[in-house]
Amino acid sequence: MDQYLPILGLLLLGVLFASGSLVASAWLAPHKRPTDAKLAPYECGIVPESEPPQRFPVRFYLVAMIFVIFDIEVVFMYPFAVVFRQLHVFGLIEILTFSLTVFAALVFLVSEGALQWGPVKYLTPGMPERTSSSTIVRIGRDDPEQAA
Amino acid sequence: MTTVPVVSSSITIPSIHYLAILPVIILLGASVVLVFATALVRTKVTQFVASSVTVAASVAVLVVTYFQWRCLDSSGPSTTIAHAIVLDGFSVVATGVVAVSLLMATLVAHDWALRERIVGAEYQILALAASAGAVLMTQANDLVVIFLGLEILSLGLYVLVAFDRHRHTSAEAALKYFLLGGFASAIFIYGAALVYGATGSTNLSTMSYFLASNVLTHPGLLYAGFALLIVGFSFKIAAVPFHLWSPDVYEGAPTPVTGFMASIVKVGAFAAFVRVLISALGTQIDTWRPILWVLVVLTTVVGASVALLQRNAKRMLAYSSINHAGFILLGIWAGTTRGVASTLFYIVTYAPTVVATFAVVTLVGGLGDENHSIGGYRGLARRQPWLGASMCVLLLSQLGAPLTSGFYAKYSVLASTIDVGGSPLALIALLSAAIAACFYLRWSSALYSDEPVEATRIVVPLSTGIVIGVGVAMTLVFGIWPGPLVTLCQHATLLFTP
Repeated sequence: MDQYLPILGLLLLGVLFASGSLVASAWLAPHKRPTDAKLAPYECGIVPESEPPQRFPVRFYLVAMIFVIFDIEVVFMYPFAVVFRQLHVFGLIEILTFSLTVFAALVFLVSEGALQWGPVKYLTPGMPERTSSSTIVRIGRDDPEQAA
Repeated sequence: MTTVPVVSSSITIPSIHYLAILPVIILLGASVVLVFATALVRTKVTQFVASSVTVAASVAVLVVTYFQWRCLDSSGPSTTIAHAIVLDGFSVVATGVVAVSLLMATLVAHDWALRERIVGAEYQILALAASAGAVLMTQANDLVVIFLGLEILSLGLYVLVAFDRHRHTSAEAALKYFLLGGFASAIFIYGAALVYGATGSTNLSTMSYFLASNVLTHPGLLYAGFALLIVGFSFKIAAVPFHLWSPDVYEGAPTPVTGFMASIVKVGAFAAFVRVLISALGTQIDTWRPILWVLVVLTTVVGASVALLQRNAKRMLAYSSINHAGFILLGIWAGTTRGVASTLFYIVTYAPTVVATFAVVTLVGGLGDENHSIGGYRGLARRQPWLGASMCVLLLSQLGAPLTSGFYAKYSVLASTIDVGGSPLALIALLSAAIAACFYLRWSSALYSDEPVEATRIVVPLSTGIVIGVGVAMTLVFGIWPGPLVTLCQHATLLFTP
């Protein structure tokens, strides 16, 4: 039973830390008492009728995904590193295949612009066919094709 | 004198039967190739290339299943990779069904992607990966491998459901599916942990031997474990009362994705369900049967009755698939070799039918994938006889009308139920089929209604047309002449049946 004592200790520490943080935060924080009006986004004084959409750049998710990729890779690399001599060539081939698969995800992310921060350098055209000749009808000409 | 145990420094690498895992390798490999292509090719990978790779991969898997079947004929079923993967008739046939579903769904999605101007190969990448998960589930002989397959299948599908960026119902459906699916996975893994605690192994065959040769004095842990496993699977197959996600997800997902998930999730989840309940827990049949009894009654009756109230084609098909899930469960409830064969037959015939049905729904849905009221089908068969008649046949097959594959599928699960004394259960299921007949017939008669409706002619693109044609042909051929397929399913037995 003694060997489980540290786990109990850890559990207690966890509970203490969590409850301690909550108590400390409640005690130390300035009491501003948020009301609904204070928490609402500023809409020129008008009460908003619907929840305005919150913008959250997708790049943050991409960075998180890069983290997950390396995380997964390391999770399997460590056990492999411990026993790689016993696994011989088979283990090497396996880990290379695994790495290649995981690497594919990284290459895909980079190609999607996960590492391009700062101002956008180029935009992927969403509708390739839209040009000034296809969308603008020139007045006075019947056939827009000819006008172009 | 005590001897110090010598720690062996060598690791025995389990033998790998590559033919058994080749389908998974092909599907995942094609997926990784497409990922590299998307990343490295300067221009966007065209739909044509991506769909061709996917079609080639699924055809390759079909060829591999043929060789697997021949290998089974010569050397019998076997397990590989430390008994984690099993190569038996059941897994081979189920793998073939996944490949056919992927093939058909890809062709439908190809036209859909062109119509909705979707660029890139992401759809095909995810579909290939999800299919690999489904194949892994059909072959798994270990609760951990089943879980792995389940997660690969589900994670791919969560993203596919959210694929239509222009409709926020698509994202909403994906979030619902993701949360409930994650919840179900957690319940499943908890059940697996408890069963492991009770039997000392996650391996299905080891569990089966353990339970056959030992009597548990305190079986509470085992019962709790497999009850949780049943709940986890019930979520995935959308059995009532764990079905609530299904109509919303079917409605929100892009229609080709709905068809795809309706077929491969059913194949993967039911194959694994059969293996867990019958191979591993076959000795406990008296305990899990009552649970399944209640599930079957609720699933068939609620599925059929609530479908009557639906006005949206996709929601109606969702409830119809719930009703079908109840019927497929009947074969598992029977727990016999015949029951397993009839379950497999049901899956084999249902999967292509449902993909073809959703192919028609995709076409009728039109640009934007919005037009899904049953009213949109009014008079379709008058305007476009071939398309309307195809839809009519597919609906009648789901109803279980004679001369369609649905009839023999329903007949065989009911017969296997009556075999083991489940006449009341069979009667309830049959009554639910009668209720279900109301909405299938109402829909079919709407197809042939005379009322003049202003509707534009639906253009049937080539590959979707082929899928609908193949689906109808399979329905009719296996309906009129089910013999060979029945024999195939009877030979496709599980490796372990107690």
